[in-house]
Order: sequence, then structure tokens, then C-alpha cells
Amino acid sequence: MTLLTVRDLGVRFGGLQALRGVDLAVQEGEIFGLLGPNGAGKTTLFNVISGLTPANTGSVHWQERAIAGLSSHRIARLGIARTFQNLRLFHSLSCLENVLVGMHQHARQPPLAALLQRPSFQRREDQLQQQALELLALFGLEAAAQQRAASLSYGDRRRLEMARALASQPQLLLLDEPAAGMNPAEKEELRALIKRLTQQFQLTVLIIEHHVPLMLGLCDRLAVLNFGQRIALGTPEQVRRDPAVIEAYLGGNP
Amino acid sequence: MEAGLLVQMLLGALLGLSVYLPLRCGQLSLATPGFFAIGGTVAALLSTRVPALAGSGSTYPIASVLLEMVLAALLTGVLALVLGRMVLRLRGIYLAIATIALVEILRVVTLNLEFTGGAVGIFGIPQPFQSAEGYGAFTLVLLALVCWMCDRLEKTRPGRAMAAIRDDELAAASQGINTADTKLLAFVLSALVAGITGVVAAHFLNSWNAKLGNFDASITTLAFVVLGGSRTWLGPVFGGLLLTALPELLRPVGDLRLIVFGAVILVGPLIFPQGLITLERLQALWRRRPPWLALPSNRGRR
Ligand SMILES: Nc1ncnc2c1ncn2[C@@H]1O[C@H](COP(=O)(O)OP(=O)(O)O)[C@@H](O)[C@H]1O
Ligand SMILES: [Mg+2]
Repeated sequence: MTLLTVRDLGVRFGGLQALRGVDLAVQEGEIFGLLGPNGAGKTTLFNVISGLTPANTGSVHWQERAIAGLSSHRIARLGIARTFQNLRLFHSLSCLENVLVGMHQHARQPPLAALLQRPSFQRREDQLQQQALELLALFGLEAAAQQRAASLSYGDRRRLEMARALASQPQLLLLDEPAAGMNPAEKEELRALIKRLTQQFQLTVLIIEHHVPLMLGLCDRLAVLNFGQRIALGTPEQVRRDPAVIEAYLGGNP
Repeated sequence: MEAGLLVQMLLGALLGLSVYLPLRCGQLSLATPGFFAIGGTVAALLSTRVPALAGSGSTYPIASVLLEMVLAALLTGVLALVLGRMVLRLRGIYLAIATIALVEILRVVTLNLEFTGGAVGIFGIPQPFQSAEGYGAFTLVLLALVCWMCDRLEKTRPGRAMAAIRDDELAAASQGINTADTKLLAFVLSALVAGITGVVAAHFLNSWNAKLGNFDASITTLAFVVLGGSRTWLGPVFGGLLLTALPELLRPVGDLRLIVFGAVILVGPLIFPQGLITLERLQALWRRRPPWLALPSNRGRR
């Protein structure tokens, strides 16, 4: 089943055409990669999907439903979560609280029970904390649960962003350069982790990453953007041999 | 210390909490004195113009004060709901300026209306308590209730959403948080607290006029939170108590007191940018508590 369909998408920033006629369809359960040099428009595509940047032309469909123009909290509630290329954690909150905020839409409780601290409220709150701790443990962050997000190392912040995004129990996870700033060993760990998460949570993943070997090893399909246009689409094998890609991105050295 | 000053300090703490609520959500609103003035005007009008509320005894019935508080809360709540929808689209300093404008409009309207007593105001507001001690006890209960509400808020979902918006509004929206509604909730709660406080203040002061909700009051109440801190509700309570007491305590030094007062407001935030009361300092204090303070065991995880 097609989860996300992007048709003829165009985004303009003043005189700059950041995206031009981009078509994509992401199937349920696949890991879909987005490659492309800096400034190609990859993050802009994520921003349009998650409702942060309006599109000038084209459409975005979630399953059958047109979602362009919805506010970002509504899009998040549909089951689309994301991480940010330049990390946007809640820096004054603890790691645990960051994940709890990620659970926002599932954490609703009757206000009166919350105010009076009823046992039913406390039980549910304990349960949510337990789930948040389990998510942190998946990313090796359980020991840092009470630490403020601002105090984490760069790699841990990236992991915390992923844990927070998963906390909303999304169907589609958008990862914007999750391996940036990680060393090769960490990158390999991350690849295995993403593979494992997709199976465990029945996730569909749309991932932006510059590290080509990682992407070729991880993704089921890939699209390549260059100057806002999609110049290639296919399996890792197809994309690796595509002359347009070699020309534009891999610099003739695949 | 005389009881009258204590009442003023408690009222200051309540106003500090009113400024704190939107600020905890990252919204710099200076509308508190406006809603405070509305609450006071509601109380002054009802208690002096509605004979049915006066009761038969020699003192004004507390039930009537409670009724005034409910009506003031309704009025300020609805007004905050409508105004908040409009002004909360603004950010940072623009929101601050818009809320100052709201306060000024309210003040000028009150000044020019016949039934609010114009520039002179309303006098002879009946007294539900014979002594300042009575006011003190009543205000203390009110403050405790509002503190309890703030504490519950901070430890639950809406409070976490507010903190998330303060840290990064865009990221908060991406977690499925309806940021507009959450900010509006903080703004309305802030207005309710200010309105109810105004009711108590009107009776305590015995008279009410438009000057009580002016720009100076906006800045003074903001100083409560800037000095006390905006990370936990204890900050504005402490700031409100301290900064209300300070000018009175400094009375012996004469004219110098305004300079000292100004210096405290200026230097405090320079030395303690996060305010005097922060979670870290509270935790450090808790760790160094004397042994007799050890509680049986901590029920929650935090
Ligand atoms: N909000 C914005 N306003 C103006 N220009 C922007 C904005 N966001 C991105 N751009 C520009 O659009 C182009 C694509 O950016 P981006 O999508 O971030 O690329 P990528 O993620 O592929 O590196 C860049 O030239 C960038 O400078
Ligand atoms: Mg990018």
C-alpha cells in the first residue's frame, strides 16, 4: 500500500526554486532514502511533508488524504514523526521529559484526575514513564534519563531525537541526517538499529543521509535530488549505476 | 512586620504567578495588571451597588466575596479567551507591546466611564474581615490553592507541553502539540488568577481606581518573575513576596529606598539570569537538608 504520495511538488523561496516538480511514492514498510548534495532541497521536502513549509505547487497525500496545508501538529497526529537536521530538542527538559512530550497525543488524561492526583492518573503516568524509559533504553540512553537534554553529547542528542520521534508511535518516520556527526562505528550501529526498529515497530522510514555506503546498505529504494529536481529513483543497485547520479552527486566515482 | 504588609506580599505573590503562567509557556504577556484591574472593578461595583450582596450582619459576607470571585473569573476568562486568540499570534517583544496596549486601553476606558467612578474611583468598599489578619488568612489559602494548581500543571501533560513550547515552539508542534491552544490555556489561567486577586485586593484596599492597573504595575509584576525565576512556581511566589516587602522594609533609609529597590531589580537578574529560584538550586538544597527533614520515602520517581 502507498503510504505517502508527493506529486509535482514545487517550493520557491523568493528567487530560489528549492523544489521543482518532485514526484515520490513511499510504500508501507519500506526504508526509502533521499540522497543529494547540500542545498538540493531534501530538508525542504521534509518540511513540506511535516507541514512546516507551504508548497507553491503540487500535492502531498497521506494514504488517500490530501495533507498539504494542514498545520504541523495535525500532521504529526496522523502518524508522521520526524527528526531535525539541526537538532531541535527541548534543551531545558530531561531526556525522559523529552520523550514524554513526544508521547503527547497518547498521554491525554482527565483533567480532574490529574489535578487531584487520583490513583488511576498516577498508574497511567507511571505506565507512560515506563514506556518512555524503555524507548530511551533502545537508544542506550536509560542512564541519562534524568539528565537535561542540553548536557548530552552530540551523538546522544541525535539518538534522543529519534527516541522522541518514535514516542508518538508513528507509521512514518522522517529522519533528517541521523548519522551526522557520528563516527564510523556509531554509523554502523545506527544502521542496524534503524533496520531493527522498522521491523519491531512496523515502521516506514524516509531517510536523508549523506553517507552513501550506509544508504546503499540500508534502503530498499532511493531517490536522488539535485537542484530541487528528482534526477533518479530506484533500488540501490539501479541508483548506483545511474549516469545522472554519478555525474551530479558521486562525482564520477561510485 | 505588620499584617497589612503581609497581605500585600501575598497579593504580590499571586500576581507573580499570573505573570509566570504565560512565561512558562515562553509568552511574555504583561496583561496581568489589566485583568487584576477588571477583577477589582467587578468587586468594587458589585459590593457597593448590589444591596443583596451586603447581607444582614455588620461585616460583608464571605460568600459574597466568593461570588464576586466567580464572576470576576468568568469575565476575565472569557475576555482572555477572545483577546488571547488575537494577541498570542504575536511573539516575544511584540506580544509584550500588544498586552501593554491592552492594559492601557482598559485603563483609559475605566477612567472615562461614569459607572466605574472615573478618575476618582470607587470608595467605601465593604469589609468582609475586621482585621488584616483575616485578609491574611484568606489570601494565604487562595495563594496555596493557586500554587497547588501550578504544581499539578507542571507535573502533568499540559505543563510538559508548555515547557516544550517555551524551549522550541516549532519542535513542540511537530510532536502533535496544539501550540495555539496550549498558549491560550496559559493566558486564560493567568487572567483568572489576576482577576480573582483583584477581587481580594479591592476589599483589602477599601477603594479602587483605574491607576491600579497601569504600565508601572506591568513592569513591577514582571520584575517579580524575572528576579524570582520562571522555571518553577516557587520563583514568582518568592519574587512577589520579596519585592512587595522590600520598599516597605527599606523605609528607614528614606529616599534612598527607591534606588536600592531599582538596584535589586537590575542586579538580581545580572547575577542570577535564571532567577533566584531554579530547580537545580532547589535540588542542591534538598540534598543538603538536615537529617530530621528526611521524609519516609519519596513516592514518585522525581
Ligand atoms: N526558509 C528558507 N528560506 C529561504 N531559503 C531556504 C529556506 N530553506 C531552505 N532554503 C534554501 O533552499 C535550498 C534547499 O535547502 P535544503 O532543503 O535545506 O537543502 P538540503 O537539505 O538538501 O541540503 C537551499 O539553497 C537553501 O538555502
Ligand atoms: Mg538538509
